[in-house]
Amino acid sequence: MTEPFLSIRDLHKAFGSFVAVHDVTIDIPKGEFLTFLGPSGSGKSTTLYAIAGFQHPTSGDVLLEGRSLLSVPSHKRNIGMVFQRYTLFQHLTVAENVAFPLRVRRRPDAEVKRKVAEMLSLVRLESYGGRYPGALSGGQQQRVALARALAYDPPILLMDEPLSALDKKLREEIQAEIRRIHRETGVTILYVTHDQDEALHLSDRIALFRDGRIEQIGTGEDLYLRPASEFVASFIGNSNFLPAEHLETVNGSATIRLADGSVVSGVRIDQDFSHGQKTRLMVRPEAFRLRPGPATTGLAVEFIDTAFFGERRRVIARTAAGQEIDVRPTSDMAEAHEGIASSRQQIFFDPAAAFLFPA
Amino acid sequence: MSGNLSHRPPILRRPAGIGGALPALILISLFFVVPVVALLLRSVTEPVPGLQNYAILFGDGTYARVFLNTFLVATVVTAVTVIVAFPVAWMLAIMPPAFGSIVFGIIILSMWTNLLTRTYAWMVLLQRTGVVNRTLMDIGLISQPLPLINNLTGVTIGMVYIMLPFMILPLVGTLRAIDPMTLRAAALCGASPFDAFRRILLPLSLPGIAAGGLMVFVMSLGYFVTPTLLGGTSNMMLAGMIAQMIQSLLNWGLGSAAAFILLLVTMALYALQLRLVGAKRMTGGI
Repeated sequence: MTEPFLSIRDLHKAFGSFVAVHDVTIDIPKGEFLTFLGPSGSGKSTTLYAIAGFQHPTSGDVLLEGRSLLSVPSHKRNIGMVFQRYTLFQHLTVAENVAFPLRVRRRPDAEVKRKVAEMLSLVRLESYGGRYPGALSGGQQQRVALARALAYDPPILLMDEPLSALDKKLREEIQAEIRRIHRETGVTILYVTHDQDEALHLSDRIALFRDGRIEQIGTGEDLYLRPASEFVASFIGNSNFLPAEHLETVNGSATIRLADGSVVSGVRIDQDFSHGQKTRLMVRPEAFRLRPGPATTGLAVEFIDTAFFGERRRVIARTAAGQEIDVRPTSDMAEAHEGIASSRQQIFFDPAAAFLFPA
Repeated sequence: MSGNLSHRPPILRRPAGIGGALPALILISLFFVVPVVALLLRSVTEPVPGLQNYAILFGDGTYARVFLNTFLVATVVTAVTVIVAFPVAWMLAIMPPAFGSIVFGIIILSMWTNLLTRTYAWMVLLQRTGVVNRTLMDIGLISQPLPLINNLTGVTIGMVYIMLPFMILPLVGTLRAIDPMTLRAAALCGASPFDAFRRILLPLSLPGIAAGGLMVFVMSLGYFVTPTLLGGTSNMMLAGMIAQMIQSLLNWGLGSAAAFILLLVTMALYALQLRLVGAKRMTGGI
């Protein structure tokens, strides 16, 4: 087996009795865009800081091309990083900021000049070289930070919630820039965020952190369509969780009884449940249909509120057991002709697109 | 973020009526402007009208030596104070606030302690048979007592000690405003701790160093007690000279001229600093 490019092995970090990172192991191939996603305090930033050298892990190792980075001080790791806050050097111009990593490496003037021009054009700030960071917008400052972090061609670029200080419109704009730069440079990127949309938009793979452990690692599709746990299902995308009782499983296909007494068959499961075990059935809002289709099962509900958004409808419905659920079916022409009666009594979903988790 | 002055609240820009400021203006004129003018007049009228007092001060080698000595001491004291204050200020800036306020308290407390007491304490410490010399001899570092008092060494040590708080306080303010993440960013960019200090931390803290430095320099120029007690007679500084002229020689004209020169130098330095700091702001730096 070939050596992975970057390897995090059994990384463990404890602050006193609080364990921030719990034996995290990840292998990252060269050129990958991997996102550490998770709520605050889940250990994603601590893991990133261990790679940057700002925090020494309690145990475990970080290997770059087979060599441990732990004994290498930050300034010799040759890693690029963009921070959450603006960390540009306020007393230097934009061009001097980008040149800084090359200057401390004592590169010749001609090379510094060429590289600075190349980096500023990469982040599309060619005409801003002579300005001071204080005269730039937040988005521009983060683009300069990106140029500075990439100026010395680091093999790895770390990004610690770089867009969290920006407004929504700027965030989307810079996300597109980051995708383009990743494509153009082929640099391996480790990206930390708590924003699932950002993670889905940017990453090749997502590692979802919870309480210092990786709950699931995989592509965005893996996490969305095949969540390993209720936590993953609730963190990525929107979900409805219906209390259910497990009745039996035949060939990986479960039969359950919902709170309103209705029995649903054909639910896909990855784990074993005993007869009568309390479970929760997860159904994505967009998995619901307003009309029955092949293999769908019906759910008796009462509509509380409906709204039409063109491609989708948004319905707040209440089940017979009194639970409010979020229903976002795609609009279809037949429905449009039929019209939506506020008194409609049933919505439909395919049990194979639902997941069963222990309660 | 930005130091843009146009964002100041309008009340600071609106020209206020002169009437409301009248009491303050009278107070300032009476107690600050009038004495300075009187000082200037004395220097050009006593004992006879003319610039002879200034001619004596600039022409006489003895007085020139005192001026030189004063500037030398003020420069050395300022430089040493910056060097000693920087690590202390940095420690205070990055310390947890609880510890920080204790250290702050100690520094402020020393500032509030009587100046004479502190200077005499240094005399006790620095004299031939003082604690410093005896300790150094006991551990065998020196065989003869070092001359630490009645010379520039003594003046420098004593004055640096007195001046430290005036350097530390503005410096802590500047250093606290620097995001520690900036230094982490510098490290990841490949800057060794020394590079990060020289290229990032030091330039970013220059406004604090300039503010504290000017204060220390100006105070040192006119300092009286410490140089007189620790420097001895052969190392007279300007303030000591002025005191002698007025108290012993009763030569008010010459004393006033010396005091006025001191005032002019101080104002020139202040103007210089305003220019430097002001220019920095204009370019969008800190």
